[in-house]
Amino acid sequence: MMRVLLEVKPRKKPLLPIEAECITPASFLEERDLTVWKGNRELMLSNVFNVSVTGEVDSVDGVEVVLRGETSRIKRVGEYMEGGRIIIEDDIGMHCGNFMSGGRIEVHGNAAAWLGREMRGGEIICHGDAGDYCASGYRGEKRGMRGGRVEVCGNAGDFAGEHLSGGSLIIHGDAGDFPGVEMRGGEIMIFGDCTRACGNMTGGRCHVFGTVHEMLPTFRNMGEVVHEDTGQVLTAFRGDVANRGKGNLFVGNYQYME
Amino acid sequence: MKFDDVLCPFCGCLCDDITVTAEGGRVTGVDNTCLLGTSKFLGDNRLKNPIMRTDDGWKDVTYDEAIASTLDALLEADRPLLYGWSGTHGEAQCIGVHMAELLGAVIDNTSSVCHGPSILAIQEVGHPGCTLGQVKNRADVIIYWGCNPTEAHPRHMSRYTTYADGYFLDNAFRDRTVIVVDVRRTETAELADVFVEIKPGGDYAVLSALRAMVRGRDEMIPDSIAGVSKEQLRHIVEICKNAKFCAVFFGVGLTMTRGKYKNVRNAIELVDELSRHTKATITPMRGHFNVYGSNEVNTWMSGYPYAIDFCRGIAFYNPGETTAVDILARKECDAALIVASDPAAHLPSKCIRHLANIPVVQIDPYPNMTTAFCNLQIPVAVSGIDAEGTAYRMDGVPIRLRKVLETEYPTDTMLLGRIYEAMMEVRGR
Ligand code: SF4
Repeated sequence: MMRVLLEVKPRKKPLLPIEAECITPASFLEERDLTVWKGNRELMLSNVFNVSVTGEVDSVDGVEVVLRGETSRIKRVGEYMEGGRIIIEDDIGMHCGNFMSGGRIEVHGNAAAWLGREMRGGEIICHGDAGDYCASGYRGEKRGMRGGRVEVCGNAGDFAGEHLSGGSLIIHGDAGDFPGVEMRGGEIMIFGDCTRACGNMTGGRCHVFGTVHEMLPTFRNMGEVVHEDTGQVLTAFRGDVANRGKGNLFVGNYQYME
Repeated sequence: MKFDDVLCPFCGCLCDDITVTAEGGRVTGVDNTCLLGTSKFLGDNRLKNPIMRTDDGWKDVTYDEAIASTLDALLEADRPLLYGWSGTHGEAQCIGVHMAELLGAVIDNTSSVCHGPSILAIQEVGHPGCTLGQVKNRADVIIYWGCNPTEAHPRHMSRYTTYADGYFLDNAFRDRTVIVVDVRRTETAELADVFVEIKPGGDYAVLSALRAMVRGRDEMIPDSIAGVSKEQLRHIVEICKNAKFCAVFFGVGLTMTRGKYKNVRNAIELVDELSRHTKATITPMRGHFNVYGSNEVNTWMSGYPYAIDFCRGIAFYNPGETTAVDILARKECDAALIVASDPAAHLPSKCIRHLANIPVVQIDPYPNMTTAFCNLQIPVAVSGIDAEGTAYRMDGVPIRLRKVLETEYPTDTMLLGRIYEAMMEVRGR
């Protein structure tokens, strides 16, 4: 087992974002210079973090990277990650786990926008809230998250699971506006409330155990069903008819904007 | 001296039939403009020379001093922001993109607070658009959705839609049906044949319902959606399906309300759906006279229309992350150059507060609200009055801005060109 501890050093301009896609477990397997970007300046990883590495390992699965300190402006951590573990002790900046295909990221604070963007596999657990576009796609991208699992213990922002095409997104709190918008596959579970779920969806399944406010009028009511795991009675809808969609949306309660 | 067929450099209509009289280095009269255009041409109160903020108040400085100070502010910054660009000509916008690349800066234009979401929607589903000439000569159904041309684009209806003659319409005024969709009864709504009053935030649901109804699925639509009755929606669907040419125009009522680009995407997909029955097009009502040009210039130079981050030497684009309003609200830049716009008048106070705490250089002919907190303001010639160049109309047609006054002021192109050359020298390029 190899443990890498990255502790953020005090910064003169702490609000400027740092792009740190080099922070993946695989990067620490071989000895090489790692750099990050603060605005338009490229810096050594050690200029921004106190780095300490203990233990040795042959495979990425035995690497655990821990981020400590003020990390809310550190972006792209775990991008293209294929295995191993990243533990973030506090908040994390945008694009955490972009395109990851394996391994596990655990965020103990909140995650900024685009958490698990276009993720293909692996697992992300966020113990706090997630920002907008959790498990979604990049601008203009037709597919968001394609595989793996993202679990948000708090609330998620707007457009969670936009263009979702595979994998599962679980939100224990509320989701904002348009969760599952344009989704075409995969599964979303929202245990709280949201507004305008699944606009324009063409496929996949979305469960909202709370209330969908401003329910879109273009979902066909298919009657009531009992959810297997929770025993809760949900209303089943199929749509989005506006888009010739064949997605399945199950909701605890719903209100139209009349 | 009289100049005919001058362009009005105010709104996205870019009217090109203006007559301007100029005498003694001033515009003394204009014909054919609306009130907005008139006040732009007759605008006075220009800044005489560059001014710099000091501990004792404003100090007059020379252009050389102003350029040196601009270099200091921008070259030292780790994440400079170059914002504005919609009120100048394309040639100056080109230099802005080169400058952003050299500096490793973020360059953004005002579309991030107006029609940026329209571009995001177009990137998702395309743009069934056309020129305003096509609308004028052919469209028999006009829909204004979330916009109020009577007040924001005052000659739009007389030049291109309701009151304009159409080559393929016998009696254009009678033949055209005008539908206005808005959250309140605006002056434009008073001129409409059909006014649809929608609850704020209800556009997406209504657009979805219309799409389903155009597809013949109206049995599943509830009796009322966002304050609009199903009966009225049926009426609109009938008008649109029976149109020979249906032209939809939309404004910030769609782009800057909840859902933003999803509203626009839904409107575009409604137009796509209507195109199975008749000819239908959609056009954003662009605000600043050359905001479209800024998107064009940025796109042909960097691949992206706005919110471009050159920090790492290559172009990265992600509205929501690299847009000026988000960068400023999160305090993520440490210097700013503002060109041809007035962010203090348009951006949220959180953004302005950050601008007030970092070095800001403004290039603008007039004192404006941004003057109140910038560190340096450099006056330039006014594009379309004493500077010529290229501007793009709201439908993407490039037109040449004319110059009707001789001037001592440098144009945006000249000033930005000098700053850029000086930057290249410092950077050894
Ligand atoms: S409609 Fe716009 S471009 Fe035309 S005269 Fe008025 S302000 Fe100028």
